[in-house]
Amino acid sequence: MSPANPESLRAASAAEAPAVHSGETIVVIDDDRAIRLSCEKILTKAGYRVECFETGAAGLEAVAKLKPALALVDLKMPGISGMDVISRLREIDPNILTVVITGYATIDTAVEAMKAGAYDFVPKPFSPDELRLIVKRGLDHRRLMLESQQAEMERELLKRRFITFVSHQLQTPLVAIHQYLDVLRHLENPDPAKLREWLDRCLARTEEIQAIIKDWLTISKLEGGLLAQQRVKVDLTEVITEILKTYEVMAASESVTLENQMPPDGCYVIGDRNCLSVLFDNLVTNAIKYNKPGGKVTVSAERTPDEVIVSVADTGIGIPEKYRQMLFGEFFRIQDVKKTPGTGLGLAIAKRVATEMGGSISVESQVNVGSTFRVRLLAWKEPVSETTQGRTNNGLKAQNTDR
Amino acid sequence: MASKHKILIVDDDADFAEAIASFLEANGYQVLQARDGSEGLRIAKAERPDLVLMDVMMRERTEGFFTIQEMRRRPELKDIPVFVLTSIYSQVPGFRITPEASWLAHDAFFAKPVNPAELLEKIRQFLDRPSAKEVNS
Repeated sequence: MSPANPESLRAASAAEAPAVHSGETIVVIDDDRAIRLSCEKILTKAGYRVECFETGAAGLEAVAKLKPALALVDLKMPGISGMDVISRLREIDPNILTVVITGYATIDTAVEAMKAGAYDFVPKPFSPDELRLIVKRGLDHRRLMLESQQAEMERELLKRRFITFVSHQLQTPLVAIHQYLDVLRHLENPDPAKLREWLDRCLARTEEIQAIIKDWLTISKLEGGLLAQQRVKVDLTEVITEILKTYEVMAASESVTLENQMPPDGCYVIGDRNCLSVLFDNLVTNAIKYNKPGGKVTVSAERTPDEVIVSVADTGIGIPEKYRQMLFGEFFRIQDVKKTPGTGLGLAIAKRVATEMGGSISVESQVNVGSTFRVRLLAWKEPVSETTQGRTNNGLKAQNTDR
Repeated sequence: MASKHKILIVDDDADFAEAIASFLEANGYQVLQARDGSEGLRIAKAERPDLVLMDVMMRERTEGFFTIQEMRRRPELKDIPVFVLTSIYSQVPGFRITPEASWLAHDAFFAKPVNPAELLEKIRQFLDRPSAKEVNS
């Protein structure tokens, strides 16, 4: 049973008439034929695949091949005892859930069995409903367990990939710099003009390395909650006007026009000025970089009593639907865009900042028409009176901005 | 040397390619450059270089490997020596690129950054040995 293959799960359950469950395999180990038969009947009807065994030895032998999700084990059996079966099962596959079948007289033993690793017990005699309920509960628990294991693994993988990716990203410019220097060492009379040009190129590549490291640090600080300490009144009109001014030259060199449609009377949100500046800096530079010659970048805002929604719209290459999910992940970059410099961390940073500020970020896009990124942030509310001051803005104390 | 040997560098990093190209030109070779695999194939077909230096970790991850395979498949290109240059070694999940990677039909393997003297020596081994014509005359 592989949880990673939902296709096969669906196929299995579709093939069985009552299609109630996902066709997980259940092993029944009991020396009592009547119990085996009734378990088989009840659980097969409920949509499970059921395999029964008369002895612990036979059951254990089959488990490796059957890979059951759950085992129903009688505690009192000739040969290997139920207790031993439970601990052996755990050794074979720690993800097999064990449920003990036990008579009323041996509840104490059932408790012992649960201490030894069984998940639950079903007292004899049991009704079909009781058995189904206990099995379902067990399997639900197991699914949750497997899901959290999976999530943990994915987090690990992401962490490992992060390191691999950053290393590779750093290595590329380093290799270029090293190669220039090493070749210079091997050239007898390098042309002075070429030497000059190479030095400039080396400097440009060191700047690339610095940008990667800066982004990397920003990400890790955001992760550790070290950034975004302040929650103050920030005027986004001012922040964005400043950013647009900074990129005027860059935009002009790409023949892109920047249009500032922020409300001239100010646009106030709660947040950290530096972080918000980083966020919109990333969105604006992306909108310029992934634009077309003659294109436009428009920044505008909508204000509601609770929210400010800032839109950064470009007339660029757009983002194919299949990429939109990954867009805000680390190191995502559109593959078919050649020569666009960047660290692949910009949107991941933007998302973290927005989330950290209690807001969100989303994108709408049409290939070859353009993309619009929308950032929702909490609107700043002026304190109403003396008595309510300090309780407004989600309990955050009003502070003067540092301007 | 009657005519200059032609070397094609296929690498998406313009700076790396520029450094190596200048070094090889200073040592008497004619150098051609391509930024990706398809451009590399096109130049190889048109110019018939005597040797190719191929980066195997260009933007599209498999592009370098694919380009080498394509060259080996074409009768007119299959005998051109290919040196593999890479800075990744075994870092990329799913690929193990080592000097011994026999599945990658290459003639020499270099880790980036490349030691210019070693590269030159290896190129000379392939290109500057007496050709069949010279032996005959």
